[in-house]
Amino acid sequence: MREQLITKDTIADPRTRYGAAKASTRHFMTQRVTGAINIVFLLLLLFVVVRLAGADRAGAVALIGTPWIGLPLALLIVNVAIHIRNGMRDVLEDYFAGSTYTLLMTLTTLFSVVVGALGALCVLKLVFWG
Amino acid sequence: MAMSIVHRATGIANAAGFVLLVLWLVAAAAGDPMFGAVNGLFGSWFGQLVLFGFTWSLTHHMLGGIRHFIWDTGAMMEPGRREAIAWATLVGSVVITLVIWLVFVWVG
Repeated sequence: MREQLITKDTIADPRTRYGAAKASTRHFMTQRVTGAINIVFLLLLLFVVVRLAGADRAGAVALIGTPWIGLPLALLIVNVAIHIRNGMRDVLEDYFAGSTYTLLMTLTTLFSVVVGALGALCVLKLVFWG
Repeated sequence: MAMSIVHRATGIANAAGFVLLVLWLVAAAAGDPMFGAVNGLFGSWFGQLVLFGFTWSLTHHMLGGIRHFIWDTGAMMEPGRREAIAWATLVGSVVITLVIWLVFVWVG
């Protein structure tokens, strides 16, 4: 892909939709909402990790397999994946542009989807199948 | 300025730490042999060192996020006060990390 030639006119004209200002309000709000929810995630994670320190697999399955712990945990893992993708976008936007940015953002999306889905599915497996 | 970089660095570190959490969940879902292996890895001195760093990284990023919530209201932006709140996140993250490990790992 050829890089677009950036002039002052390109940047000044909102119709070119140049730069990061395409959906930035949504990105801003998403990052704050998921970030606030992540505080809940950290408290739940601390509770789970502290309870399971040194426990065997049976103990882990008993605790994470409890629906009122496992189901919120699965949702919060998805929330973390969204926050990671959105936050990585903030960083990538500042240091990369054009096709390099697109490639790195695609890899970020891939990472978030694969790791987030894997984590949530493993928790759901423990909840429903032990 | 420096705190902005640390917030980004801890954010990226947290993404790497997230992989460790998911690895542990995969092991728990997979069965006893893998769960034992991952627990052994995380229980080794190097694993504990990484988890200690991850605890600090999470805490620092959380406090950095709260600092951004405060800034979003327009408060604490003045010269001097914004440096104070930056130091507060740094000191706070170290203190909270030490308290967590002291209470739940080293003593508990």
